[in-house]
Amino acid sequence: MRIKGVVLIAAILVAVLALPQGILAADEEIQKQVDALSKELRSLRQEVAQTKEGRKSISDWLTIGGDYRFRIDSLRGEVPAFFQFNPADPFNPPLVGTFKVKNDVLYTNRFGLDLKAKATRNVTVTSRLLMYKAFGNSDTAATTGTFFADRIGTFDGTEGHVPGDAKLTVDTVFATWSNILDYPLWFSVGRRPSTGGIPGHLRQNTPKPGVGGIPALLVDYAFDGMTLGWAPDIEALPGAYAKICYGRGFENGITKTSGNGLHDTDMLGVSVVPYDTDPLFVDLQWNHGFNIFDSPVIASTTLPAPFNSLRPSVDLGDIDWFAITALSTLKNVGPGRLNVFGSGALSITRPNTNTNAFGGGLMFNDDPLAPGLQGNESRTGWAGYVGFRYDMNKNRTKLGFEFNHGSEDWITFAPAADDMWTSKLGVRGNVYEGYLIQEFKLEPISSFASKTFVRIGYQYYDFDYTGSNNWVGAPVKISDLTGSPLNAQFLTPMKNAQNIYATLEVKF
Amino acid sequence: MRKVSGIVLLLLIAAATAAIFAPVQALADEIKMVGAITKIEISGQDATTATATLKDNKTGELVTVIVNDDLTLDKFKDHRIVPGDEIRLKYEVKDGKNISRYFRKTAGC
Repeated sequence: MRIKGVVLIAAILVAVLALPQGILAADEEIQKQVDALSKELRSLRQEVAQTKEGRKSISDWLTIGGDYRFRIDSLRGEVPAFFQFNPADPFNPPLVGTFKVKNDVLYTNRFGLDLKAKATRNVTVTSRLLMYKAFGNSDTAATTGTFFADRIGTFDGTEGHVPGDAKLTVDTVFATWSNILDYPLWFSVGRRPSTGGIPGHLRQNTPKPGVGGIPALLVDYAFDGMTLGWAPDIEALPGAYAKICYGRGFENGITKTSGNGLHDTDMLGVSVVPYDTDPLFVDLQWNHGFNIFDSPVIASTTLPAPFNSLRPSVDLGDIDWFAITALSTLKNVGPGRLNVFGSGALSITRPNTNTNAFGGGLMFNDDPLAPGLQGNESRTGWAGYVGFRYDMNKNRTKLGFEFNHGSEDWITFAPAADDMWTSKLGVRGNVYEGYLIQEFKLEPISSFASKTFVRIGYQYYDFDYTGSNNWVGAPVKISDLTGSPLNAQFLTPMKNAQNIYATLEVKF
Repeated sequence: MRKVSGIVLLLLIAAATAAIFAPVQALADEIKMVGAITKIEISGQDATTATATLKDNKTGELVTVIVNDDLTLDKFKDHRIVPGDEIRLKYEVKDGKNISRYFRKTAGC
């Protein structure tokens, strides 16, 4: 019995002693695995650290993005009866009866590629390459006509914004030096981001432009120029900044020292944004155009010879512009977000007595019976632009509506605007636009901002006066066109126009 | 007399020293820096606070700040501010934590 007890105790002892050995052995194995994993983790960390500190990853300094757009347009227009200006016999212009024009289906492709490089500390280079063409066309013929001065051909500043050929053009490229001397000062030079400004980004479904850009009502043109800006920290004025901008619209080139009668066309602007927050953005803008030309350089126009190519022939004077723009984005308005905007502007011409070959001055016509005695009379025009876009949070549907009005003498500088007929913000009359955007619930991959959406919209143009987007010659009331042969028109006037459009857009 | 004069002199020196360094102490309350965001931590669309880590351009050090202002939080949530963006930052140290007072993308375009 005692022996059995001893054996039992011994067996128990053996078992007890063996058990932790087993557990210990398992522990040791686990410990070995943990040690191996820790070693691998340390090694990976070192590799990442080396990548960041010694060898730059491309994503540390280069950002690539862009967009593709497929667009369908259906265009209708009505031409009123008018006298057609005849250069060969200006005193006997023929009367043209009213007629309608259309393009039932126009397909276009647009591709943009954005590159931003952090070159050195505080210095970046930003660029956008752009291609825009119509299906079945490799020139501007499908989308230009004889109706509006900004759509008789493409020219510097509108390339890539009006459908043309398939070439990839440099829409913007500029170097920016920020934090100058450690102050919130910046200097930027190059081909400016002076298209698609606030509040035009709403109907384009793009992010609100930052401190770059210029309000859409005044400028939509890819200027070559420079900016000096300052963004102070003022507690009472969150987001405030101001900048001076300069752009060259026409380079006169080498001339004799006595000149050639032309000057470089330049634009200077001052922008003061006292408030830049989501609930409220306010921009006060002044622009001055120096030595406004009678025509930009257009290599190929829709006009008959000898006007099938144009270039500046005379300076017509200067123009001042003043504008105020306000934008508000309000969260949680019902089941979504409401964006509301208003923009108002004045244009004031400062003409000299110069006219082009057909007596067209800066918003005036030379009297053929008393030539050279007109001019020097300033004309003031005004424009208003209001609208909203409601963004539903849940299903990513966005609904927008815009209205703009331009007075008889309103003139803007927006020929690169994304409108098929003519830049709607330069219209002397009324334009109504409604649109619906539907974003697809697709997880972004290439960047946080990536998205795919469709947009359908409708524009109605109601022209009160001739010469929308054209500063050469005096505007004529549409209803007065046939009142006198002296109201003869060089371009074909339009009474009203419509555009139904739909897009499929991908931003990456 | 000498002892009293000495004590008064010492007190005057102490007062002068305090007066000289007091403004520096006030300035030290708010710290400025410019740097790129390396990380943003935010709990979701309803978050009322977030933390952002920035790498100081001058020193290379990582600084983590707490961001509480709605406007900046909205920009985090809809990715208008993302890692890699350069920020002008002002923050103050409170209870050992860096609290953001001004958080703005470097201006320039």
